[in-house]
Amino acid sequence: MDGVTPDEIDLLAIDRGSVSAPAGCGKTHLIARTLTRHSDPKPILVLTHTNAGVAALRGRLDRFQVPRASYRLATLDGWAMRLIGTFPGRSGHDPSILALGNPRSDYHAIRVAAVELLQAGHISDVLSASYDRLIVDEYQDCSEIQHFIVGLASNTLRTCVLGDPLQAIFNFAGRLADWEKDVREHFPPAGELSTPWRWINAGEQGFGEWLLDARRSLLAGGGVDLSSAPANVVWLPLDGISDEAIKLEACRTPALSKDGGVLIMAESKKPDRQRRFARNTPDAVAIESVDLGDLVSFARAFRVTESDALDRIIEFAESVMANLGGTETLERVREHLAGTSTAPPSDAEAAALRFAAAPTHRGALGFLSALNAQTGVRVHRPTVFRSCLKALEACPDDEQASFLAMAIKMREENRLLGRPLPGRAVGSTLLLKGLEAEVAVILDAHGMNPAHLYVAMTRGARKLVVCSRTPKLPAW
Amino acid sequence: MDAIDLCIGARRTAQFSDADFHDLNPGQPIAIQITLGDLPDALRSMEGYGQYLRGYIESTSEVVDEPGSGIETVLTLQLIVASDLEPSWSLFSDRAATENATRSLAWADRVRMAPTRIGGGSEAQLGWRRGSVLARLTGEEVTGGPAMLQALRDARATFGSTAQKHIAETLKTVDRVASDLGVPLHGGANASLDPGTASVSAGTVSLHDARGVPLRNLGTGSARLLVAGLQRAAAAEASIALIDELEHGLEPHRIIALLGSLGAKEKDPPLQVFATTHSPVAVRELSAGQLNILRRTDSGLQVLNAGEVADVQGTMRVFPEALLAKSIIVCEGASEVGLLRGLDRQMALSGTPTLMARAVALVDAGGITKVYSRAGAFTKLGYRTMTFRDDDVKPDAAIEVAFEAAGGKVASWGAGRAIEDALFGDLGEADAALLLDRAIEIHGEGLIDENIKSASSGKRCLADRAALLNEPGRLVLAKAARSKPGWFKSVSWMEDVGFDIVGPGLSRAAAPFQAVIQGISAWME
Repeated sequence: MDGVTPDEIDLLAIDRGSVSAPAGCGKTHLIARTLTRHSDPKPILVLTHTNAGVAALRGRLDRFQVPRASYRLATLDGWAMRLIGTFPGRSGHDPSILALGNPRSDYHAIRVAAVELLQAGHISDVLSASYDRLIVDEYQDCSEIQHFIVGLASNTLRTCVLGDPLQAIFNFAGRLADWEKDVREHFPPAGELSTPWRWINAGEQGFGEWLLDARRSLLAGGGVDLSSAPANVVWLPLDGISDEAIKLEACRTPALSKDGGVLIMAESKKPDRQRRFARNTPDAVAIESVDLGDLVSFARAFRVTESDALDRIIEFAESVMANLGGTETLERVREHLAGTSTAPPSDAEAAALRFAAAPTHRGALGFLSALNAQTGVRVHRPTVFRSCLKALEACPDDEQASFLAMAIKMREENRLLGRPLPGRAVGSTLLLKGLEAEVAVILDAHGMNPAHLYVAMTRGARKLVVCSRTPKLPAW
Repeated sequence: MDAIDLCIGARRTAQFSDADFHDLNPGQPIAIQITLGDLPDALRSMEGYGQYLRGYIESTSEVVDEPGSGIETVLTLQLIVASDLEPSWSLFSDRAATENATRSLAWADRVRMAPTRIGGGSEAQLGWRRGSVLARLTGEEVTGGPAMLQALRDARATFGSTAQKHIAETLKTVDRVASDLGVPLHGGANASLDPGTASVSAGTVSLHDARGVPLRNLGTGSARLLVAGLQRAAAAEASIALIDELEHGLEPHRIIALLGSLGAKEKDPPLQVFATTHSPVAVRELSAGQLNILRRTDSGLQVLNAGEVADVQGTMRVFPEALLAKSIIVCEGASEVGLLRGLDRQMALSGTPTLMARAVALVDAGGITKVYSRAGAFTKLGYRTMTFRDDDVKPDAAIEVAFEAAGGKVASWGAGRAIEDALFGDLGEADAALLLDRAIEIHGEGLIDENIKSASSGKRCLADRAALLNEPGRLVLAKAARSKPGWFKSVSWMEDVGFDIVGPGLSRAAAPFQAVIQGISAWME
């Protein structure tokens, strides 16, 4: 997308408005170019929703060589925390909510406190002195209260929000603001991006235009007919009998170029199934949700000195590695320990024996590494596995508490990192939202609502493979 | 003034000694906090200074720890000097202090806010030095640049050829020794200016007049006036000025010019000026709101803004000197002022500290009706105030009671007597005779005779001297002395009377008279 200039809309000319931005139409590029043009000494405040989103946007802005001084980038919640944390007296919140001990209720309390702080007008002067204007990205993911926060800020700051109501699939911050009713009422439409740059740059303009047509139809409550789609779209009919085989086949759709990548979207609410497809598809890895729940629960249960420590390690390894044969490994280790084995221990078994003899976090690290080093073994959940290795390595001692603390620290660090896109990734629309590749594969199109469907269909720039019972979608 | 300069001046260090600490106790750190308002956007940014931003409520002059709706966003700058004598500058807010966070203002911002000090060293301001008012006007340091460097190179070239002649012998010796020792000197020894010593540095460029005389050689007053004027021109860049003893070296009309150039008379003053003064001219020229009276009290330094006290502007204009005193005696008229002055001079002969030494000012209220409007103003301004009045016409009793309740003291002859009644009635006979003689000396026998006749309804005349002096209370003489325009009704007449007659005769005077004078004396202690 670099090198083209989709300056269809001048964001700096918008004092209060919304820009609707279909997928792949150069929204990030537009933001980056806007920030580059910005010359006022006061920075532009740019807000988005997730830490990953911040990391991704920062990466893009750095690539565009946008001077860091010309903007401040944060998540909406992060900024709300800063607001109330900076002016605790005016906000009057319970300081403990900033520690996020109970994320769900604490985040809500933080948002409520931010609303009250902004509403009282105590920091209007500070806001207008701090920022030239406000840009909020991915606005379709705003909950009602976040929309309220941005609305209050827009009383002081010139504000432009960008988003796509058809990509509204985040839903953890409470009820989403309704784009038609809530958003447009406060932020009048100031334009819509309409050039499918992602596909034009991939040499597939026709595909891109078809997706824009599909979007219009979906927005209007209509559907998409895959049978009339361009050749870029491959429909694999599910017959209810050999669905799994068809889906596995779809997972193996070859990449179109060396760096092109394949994004595979499985059922959103069934992470186990996403992982199973990743395990059973060569080269595929699973994309993890930011809470890294499996790592944290392992860290919570794992105590080096407990008798079940070896079982726990094997169990964890099984969950992140394909072709491990963990049960067999465990059996052989037991034999060695009992002295009933005649064969010399393998490297992995030797590492397990060392751990059994001197159970430490470092020993567990060695055992896990040795398991991974075995021929044929493949880590299909590298994010969880690597974070675990890092946490074990960083442990200052062998207390379970310090491993748990390190695991949480790694999780938080991971949250702030952009996700490096693997060649073949399996996840849900939610997890793959914002990512793009040359090929997109949808395994369960019939279960998707229009927003999920649209997000999924627009992940691939050159090819889309859809498994569904009918060519007419959505069918949920 | 030093506290302001030390706290918000742009300096990286400052010298302190144990003597700078309160009661010489370095265990209790020096802490100076200054809250700055009217901040540019960059300093009100929550990105830069979030947890240090505070609020200022103008109506109550109160600083609160966080900004708020409808109040000004401010920053508090703090200088702490602990027992290690190392100054540390930082921003201050209660919440940052609670979290043990420290942060300083960016150096560039400190330079921008630094006050210009117009004091003894004004010369420095007349060159392009770092932070000087000229540098601020120019926006950068002026070092002369390439032109200066070329001049220096030329100087080195010229110097070499001229100096050669004078030190030729020495150079030959150097050559000889060098060749004896086998030290190669390419082309022989030469003398030239050392490039390292003749360099171009900040402050090299300064203002001169057309003849080339540096302007720093101007008289103290002129230099200060000029710097103040320049400061005004640079107000956009540096809006705070500190002036020690603003009247220093200036005639009254130039004091007025200085105040004018600093914007003292403007509705929207371009500068914030902190100036100290001991000049009545300055006091008179300022509006009450611009004047703060500083006093040392038992509980520390007290600052009282004259503008916060109603109805003092007129008094400031008429009696500016009094505002520079510690205690003030508001006299009903010129006679009382004269009498106290004369008595004071007389007592000084016997070694009593004078009114001046005791920082007592005498004010002529110009009549009994004005005594308490003046005295009231002074008490409100926090001065020890006494009124000294006749008792023939009494002031409003309620006002006088209120004045005394507010800490004021009243000296009066009592019993319905005016000063003439007291003088003629209470002094000894010989002293009363001297008074009469003094009146004749001043006004001539004719007028005195006439006054006595009309005061006695024709029953007495000047020739009845003995009878007049023997009369109990000497009422006729007292009444005659009060005849218009009054025998001693001027400061100088009464001052002489006080010095020549009342002072020396005080011990012979009747008890009530002595009591009044002693009461005044005691109050002045």
